[in-house]
Amino acid sequence: MFSKIKVIPCSGMGKVYGLLARESALRVTQNLRPQECETMCLAYLVTGDQEAREKIEGKNCITLDGCPAMCAAKNVEMAGGIVVDKMKMIDIMKEYKGAKPGTATELTEEGWQIVDEIAERIAAKVKKLAKEEE
Amino acid sequence: MPEGVIKIGVVSCSGENCLGGTISRLATRKMIDEIYPDKTVTICLPLFLAGGEQERMFANAYPTITVDGCDKLCAKRATEKYSGQVSDALDVSKIIGKEIAESPALSTRNLTDEQREMITKVAQEIKTKFEKVFTDYVNTLIKSGKTPASGCGCQCGG
Repeated sequence: MFSKIKVIPCSGMGKVYGLLARESALRVTQNLRPQECETMCLAYLVTGDQEAREKIEGKNCITLDGCPAMCAAKNVEMAGGIVVDKMKMIDIMKEYKGAKPGTATELTEEGWQIVDEIAERIAAKVKKLAKEEE
Repeated sequence: MPEGVIKIGVVSCSGENCLGGTISRLATRKMIDEIYPDKTVTICLPLFLAGGEQERMFANAYPTITVDGCDKLCAKRATEKYSGQVSDALDVSKIIGKEIAESPALSTRNLTDEQREMITKVAQEIKTKFEKVFTDYVNTLIKSGKTPASGCGCQCGG
């Protein structure tokens, strides 16, 4: 049975990278590929609840992290999820030298454009993974 | 925490699965950006597991208020499991209603005026708790003979 791919962002609180990760995940799961992927609360995984672990154990996951701490990837792995791709916003932003995407609270127009582009990349990965699972 | 500077921790769940999570995040950011920028400190909740001992010391280093989007209370439970007892906890679903809080997560791109009002309301609730936790903490320091100070954080007393 096809299981939706989990797209899990860190939603980091301190810097814009966390918000870029969060908004990219929401864009792809709600607008671009809602039939093939979904997100879940990373905070729920952090609690270590059995129910949370069961939702992710053995499932294909794409993690989106803002910074090198890689909180989403680490927490998903600890909960038994299979991390098929680890995306790091701080690295992706190197492709946008000089860009001013906003803050951890709100994005600029440029930030939203970057979110849309990152979400398109994630959507392509989701599409490929979903096809492989068929 | 630098000696003499009092900061209060505000930790949100930032849940990705429901509106309550979005509101918990933005209300917490309001504390940091607008309400008490010099006195508020936060941490990414997942760092309690992904980080090291320093991150897990957070709730011991700062009196901490957790802000959860729904009644699963992930921020409160995870903080107490990995870091320390929280000083107070806020459940957004109790303020805006369970049904609204558990509706799908929302991009900040699509926030309505009504949702912005909810964020302001939740931030005010955090502020009320914050002020009580702050006062209680100062009183505790005074009772223990320590000299509390707060302000700009540069030790100038401002």
